[in-house]
Amino acid sequence: MNTPSAACPDIGVWRAWLDREVDAAQLEEHLAQCPGCRGVVALLREDADHVRAAFALLSPGQAGLPSTADAAVARERLEWQRRRSVPELSPLYAQEPIPMFLSRISTPWRIAASAVAAAVVLSILVSVTPEGRALAAGFLAQFRSQQVTAIEVTPQSQTEIMRTLNALGNLGTVNMPGGQTGRPEAAIRNASEQAKTATLAEASQAIGFKLETPDPALLPTGVDKTPRVQVMPSSQIRFTFDKTKASNYLKSTGHEVTVPDKFDGATLVVSIPSAALLQYGNGSSKEALIVGQAGELVVDVEGKVKLDEMRDFLLSLPGLPPTVVNQLKQIKTWNQTLPIPVPVDQMNWQSTNFHGNNQGLLLNDNSGVGSAAIWYESGHMYGVAGSLRADKLKAIAESLAVR
Amino acid sequence: MLNLADAAVSPTAESSATRFDALFQRFYSELFGLVYRVLGDRMETEDTLQETFLKLSDDAGLQARPDPEVGAWLRRVAINLAFNRLRSAKRARARIERVGRLERSDEEPTDSEMLGPAGLLVRHEEQAAVRRALAEVPERQRDCLLLRHSGYSYAEIAMTQGIAIGSVGVLLARAEHAFRTTYRRQTPQ
Repeated sequence: MNTPSAACPDIGVWRAWLDREVDAAQLEEHLAQCPGCRGVVALLREDADHVRAAFALLSPGQAGLPSTADAAVARERLEWQRRRSVPELSPLYAQEPIPMFLSRISTPWRIAASAVAAAVVLSILVSVTPEGRALAAGFLAQFRSQQVTAIEVTPQSQTEIMRTLNALGNLGTVNMPGGQTGRPEAAIRNASEQAKTATLAEASQAIGFKLETPDPALLPTGVDKTPRVQVMPSSQIRFTFDKTKASNYLKSTGHEVTVPDKFDGATLVVSIPSAALLQYGNGSSKEALIVGQAGELVVDVEGKVKLDEMRDFLLSLPGLPPTVVNQLKQIKTWNQTLPIPVPVDQMNWQSTNFHGNNQGLLLNDNSGVGSAAIWYESGHMYGVAGSLRADKLKAIAESLAVR
Repeated sequence: MLNLADAAVSPTAESSATRFDALFQRFYSELFGLVYRVLGDRMETEDTLQETFLKLSDDAGLQARPDPEVGAWLRRVAINLAFNRLRSAKRARARIERVGRLERSDEEPTDSEMLGPAGLLVRHEEQAAVRRALAEVPERQRDCLLLRHSGYSYAEIAMTQGIAIGSVGVLLARAEHAFRTTYRRQTPQ
């Protein structure tokens, strides 16, 4: 008997047996005695092995799966899309504001876009931490970024920060560039999408100081020595408290927060400087490098409220992760330190000096694919990022000079 | 119902936002693996998942159901959207252009270093052949094949496809045979 009989298990059962999805003992006994079923099983196994091998080609692989940080960014993007309620689902990609060659290091950049938005709200908080109040002593009415420090964030805390930031609209009115109202994060995305191509001279004029360029000899091999220069316009985000709106909102979320009268109409003004980006690389080069330069980020407050009072209110907002708030509180020179959120599940960071004694951060992608440096020097912010090892990137950062 | 902003509308909205977050965190990565196998492009995969979770975010009743049921729904929707996307002539054209431009960038650096340009080209051809064969398998078999070879259990497959768990083996066996026949026809050795 070489063919299965009506009493034999059907192919579905045998297929499930191959996957250990059914109880085996009885089936194995049958198999030992039935050459017909052994033939069926052999064919099933052959088919399954063949398909498995073919499908292995399609797998994204462990490295290709989204990290928790990728998922957090996707989650934020989803929220953004929900609020925009426009039919086109992929505005970011459709417009492709970032050159395609950068997609090799796209994840850090997408993180960076969120990080900048988070940095803004973090800066506001830094300006108004309790330690800040003591230092303020009545004369520091303003935050001006002069140096950077790392704030370690997890994907979870990053999401929480973004959500709190985006919920600011429930406490008042957020005014973005061009008189639009909406979410602060959208303003920043919008600014990056407004980037315009320029010459080095034009870009220097736009940012208000002479652009520095890296030593061409240190650029990765195969990369075009002439950069593509882009300028992102400066922008301002104004957030005006509305006492009634805020009180109603907080009450509706079950939080008993008393909002003093003088908060009504008080305005936070965040001025984001114009920035220049030099991009090295092209569609066919394997390596990519970006050098960014900008002035100070300034946070002001207008109205009857002082910074420390604003602090009390902002820190009482539900949803800000305590671990992040604690790190902010430890920053000594709060009124001039821009906190850079570092997603620790994706990047290592170290504090290091650039161009002499200018303290900054060197960030290293865990996968070894990319690295970045960021520091302040004479009131100007410098950033270098690329698909390079950190030591090579640091050498390029050190070589920046007006040429 | 996703963030604090909505809490003003309903007192239960905040817990609903937490629920959606939990579902997103639990299923995003595995759905990525599933959809990527169909589309072979990270950006297309991300866009498909955005669309999938947007549908979920609109349906509070669905979110309230147990995780395995929501997971099954998400897989069903994600697979359908992925194949729709693949079929859409307009998107296909854009995709071909983009994959062309991204050929280097979407590849793992280790792969490109190990395989070299010629090796990469062969790899892309092989992947395309697998996807072509998969597209020719009847829909129910195709989905079963995809789910199983993306690592899902028979119980998960049964729930996703709305069939009895005892039927998964037969469907899978037929699917694998159909795939193999088509694949062999397309890539004669």
